[in-house]
Amino acid sequence: MNPNTAWLRKTVALVILIGVWEACADLGYFDPLYMPAPSKVAVALFQLFAQGTIWPHLIATFSAALGGLVVGLVVGTVLGAVAALTPLVGELLAPVMISLNAVPRVVLAPLFVIWFGIGVGSKVALAFILVAVLIFFTVFTGIRDVDRRLVERVITLGGGRGALLREVYGPSVIAWILGNLKVAVGFAFTGAVVGEFVAATKGLGYLLSFAQSSYNAALMLALVVLIMGFVLLLFGLTGLLERRLLRWRG
Amino acid sequence: MLRVDSLALAYGATPVLEGASLEVPSGKFVSLVGPSGSGKSSLLRAVIGLQQPLAGVIETDIGAGDIGMLFQDDALLPWRTAEQNVALGLKLKGVAAGTAIASARQWITRLGLYGLSERFPRELSGGQRKRVALAQVLAREPQLILMDEPFASLDAIVRARVTQDLVRLVELRGISVLLVTHDLEEALALSDVVYLLSHGPRARISGRYEVNLPRPRDVIKARSHPDFAPLLQRLWNDLSREVGERAA
Repeated sequence: MNPNTAWLRKTVALVILIGVWEACADLGYFDPLYMPAPSKVAVALFQLFAQGTIWPHLIATFSAALGGLVVGLVVGTVLGAVAALTPLVGELLAPVMISLNAVPRVVLAPLFVIWFGIGVGSKVALAFILVAVLIFFTVFTGIRDVDRRLVERVITLGGGRGALLREVYGPSVIAWILGNLKVAVGFAFTGAVVGEFVAATKGLGYLLSFAQSSYNAALMLALVVLIMGFVLLLFGLTGLLERRLLRWRG
Repeated sequence: MLRVDSLALAYGATPVLEGASLEVPSGKFVSLVGPSGSGKSSLLRAVIGLQQPLAGVIETDIGAGDIGMLFQDDALLPWRTAEQNVALGLKLKGVAAGTAIASARQWITRLGLYGLSERFPRELSGGQRKRVALAQVLAREPQLILMDEPFASLDAIVRARVTQDLVRLVELRGISVLLVTHDLEEALALSDVVYLLSHGPRARISGRYEVNLPRPRDVIKARSHPDFAPLLQRLWNDLSREVGERAA
């Protein structure tokens, strides 16, 4: 198969799938209450934008996800680096992070609502904890597993701790973080949406909760498509950044 | 001048070297050969400060910044271009960034890598990467270079070319070299003195061989010099005896 036409094959497969779904819905094979036709989902999606009701929700979810992503990246990187470079801190911090990693961290959502209220704070906190733990382990193992030959190379060229951080550990860790950035973006949105789902007054998670309580499957699917679209868009941007900053990797 | 006297090294509880002594006089090319696992690389690592000796003395009148090391792997920073890798060696020696880059470009051209300055290591062949690593060391104008089988992974033609370039530059600049190699022919073709290390554990220097072949030296033609074959035979016999005694 020609790899250059993979996108065409995927598009055709998607169109066929939607076509079959639409036909099944029109012929009455699917109950519209549970599985509305794609055209109905498209109409629901269009109305969200045409009426302008979606914007405050989109802004709320994006703010929470990006806030959690940025803070999680910074805190995860700093903690991971300190733990990897300072044995005592590593010894104390690693078990905490391992414990946090062992449980599905979204279970913390109700606790964050109690701590930070139903505003944006609890959503940022959940997105943050999801991202920070991931990035902590990325940086921690990235520094621990750094290529010893490169470290010795810089030492034999006269480089000290500063040069090692700048020339070896820094670029090595950036490469690891960029490699995991797509996962982090996904985690940030998961945190924001789940947080809104638990308790909120706006956001895509709140809208999902509203659609569920009003048995509006078309709106729910429209929101799922919308979230998927935005996350894919962010994945694309992350991929561009990765290719640009890691062009040395080819 | 580098002098190693009664050096003892260990990996954990396993003794590697015991009482190893050798000298690298100024401007001389010295090789260290010996069976696998005899501690040749460990000796180099101790000289450059990457391994702590158990006992013995390592003396040199050369400053740490004037000692270069070429590893078995080229160990170039994959995120830096060839030019940046070479310049890094200079910057870490305190040379200003602009001067370091200009000098790096000159060394890259001098070592036959013209037009490849902007390439990343993954975009270079094995031989080209070795030349970049060599340029990185030579650009610092070292007085002593330690080499741990740096050309072992290269094919015969590339290896001959790179070593010839190295010998030319070393002779021209009067640089002292301590080379670790498994290749007896290479050791004799390049060196003024070859030391033989006995089988480990507790390896020691068991032989010293003067190589009085003319300089400037052609590393290929040197092998057909009348003194070369008898010396190689002697070295080979001594090394075989070391390995044989160990096996027995």
